[in-house]
Amino acid sequence: MITSSSVRIKKEWDIVGARQMGRKLAKDLGFGTIDQARIATAISELARNIYLYAEEGKVEYEIIEEMNKKGLRIVASDKGPGIEDLSKVMEDGYSTSGGLGAGLPGVKRLMDFFDIISDPGKGTTISTIKWVR
Amino acid sequence: MPETLRKIVIENSDVISKKWLNEITEKRITDYTSSISDDLYHTTNQEFINVIFTSINRKGDIVEMDDFAERLISLGWPLSYITDGLQKFKRVTIEFIISQSKQNDSNEFSNILIIVEDWVEPLISHLVNRYSGSWENTVSLQRMALQELSAPLIPVMDNITVMPLVGTVDTERAKLIMENLLEGVIKHNSEVVLMDITGVPVVDTMVAHHIIQAAEAVRLIGATCILVGIRPEIAQTIVNLGIDLSKFPTKSSLKKGFNEALKLTNREIIDLKQDDKDEIIKMIDSLK
Amino acid sequence: MRIPILKLHNYLLVSIQIDLDDQTAIDFQEDLLHNIHKSGATGVVIDLTSVDMIDSFIAKVLGDVVSMSDLMGAKVVLTGIQPAVAITLIDLGIHMQNVATALDLEQGLIKLHQELGE
Repeated sequence: MITSSSVRIKKEWDIVGARQMGRKLAKDLGFGTIDQARIATAISELARNIYLYAEEGKVEYEIIEEMNKKGLRIVASDKGPGIEDLSKVMEDGYSTSGGLGAGLPGVKRLMDFFDIISDPGKGTTISTIKWVR
Repeated sequence: MPETLRKIVIENSDVISKKWLNEITEKRITDYTSSISDDLYHTTNQEFINVIFTSINRKGDIVEMDDFAERLISLGWPLSYITDGLQKFKRVTIEFIISQSKQNDSNEFSNILIIVEDWVEPLISHLVNRYSGSWENTVSLQRMALQELSAPLIPVMDNITVMPLVGTVDTERAKLIMENLLEGVIKHNSEVVLMDITGVPVVDTMVAHHIIQAAEAVRLIGATCILVGIRPEIAQTIVNLGIDLSKFPTKSSLKKGFNEALKLTNREIIDLKQDDKDEIIKMIDSLK
Repeated sequence: MRIPILKLHNYLLVSIQIDLDDQTAIDFQEDLLHNIHKSGATGVVIDLTSVDMIDSFIAKVLGDVVSMSDLMGAKVVLTGIQPAVAITLIDLGIHMQNVATALDLEQGLIKLHQELGE
């Protein structure tokens, strides 16, 4: 089992690749169907954000272990324009592309851990973890 | 050195005990022993100090102390009673020994401090570990019991199922309930789900949120969720909290909800024995 | 790759069997509307039993398809949404309230039949 890998996001089709990779890793780790769907959907949202706003970036996967639980860490990063107002973006209902995308609050709800670092002009890195229940 | 000190302490156990009992009674913190009667408090204190001395007498044997603590735990005494009592004992004893000591140098004092601490600290540690182990165990057992209280989806008729929710619905449980609910709806091909919340003691915004989400998920799957069993108090809190259930069909009782479910699935219940009943009534009338 | 659309009397039936990528979803939207126009169908059932993930984009495309079809005089019912999908949609905060749903194809047709009063 691969413990870490990554998918480059450049073409629209890469969004599908990223989420399928995520689902496969999730399945191998023993996540149930519902959590697999949550992970795949979260990746899809993150990858799409990269594709729409940064044009290029990557999604990295890492299998992690802590205490006696296993999890999957997904890190979506890009060198795009970054996010000006983080607090606004983390508000439910806010969207910059006219209704497209449920946004980051949705991703936060799908996953167990969510962290975002963004530097306007330099890029954004979003780190999420889902633990096997 | 320790042996000498031990002897001193034991020989003067009466004096030390008295001092300790005084302190512990004077400085009784009412909030944590408020439900305990004065008599019981005094008797227990007496027993406590005896047990402490037994342990010192037996050079650190803690069996009696353990039994004593276990009894107190099961009776519901707070942990702080024991730790405070031991700390006070440490202080009283140190004060006493120092007052008896002919020498006055700081070396002597710190020796005494260390020795007495070495008696008492392990006791405290041991008891704290015991207590917290017991708490953690209880909490984990309770959590498991709560999860086992899973909300089953009960098919009552073709295409109609009932889910009786019992107990508080926290986020963790809500997830399990939702998954169970949705999978059950598909498995039983249930067009209508009657979610009965009679057994949910409190419906605050969080619980309502979970229930509403579950209902919306059911709708997405293609079935209808009817909320039943809303008690008057619950109806009040829902309105007072401003929770909007307008998009959610609700009925006051399971019976009414069931009738609604029948309507939605194009069925009705017909009493077959009506003719027989009429016959009997006619017969009785004819006797008048 | 286009999603096949079948015709049954006045209804159009669609069964989505693949992991929808953005382009396919948009193509599908076009194809369906085109089909409604050509056939004059008044009802559409889109079965999603085999779909294991719907993200916000796909949800929007499907939601739009329903609204657009409605404008063209056809009612749409989505059937067979899986528990995992329903839960993720709710987690994302997507409720798709304007969309009619049913458990499976059969129920979907019954619902259409009732709605269209035929």
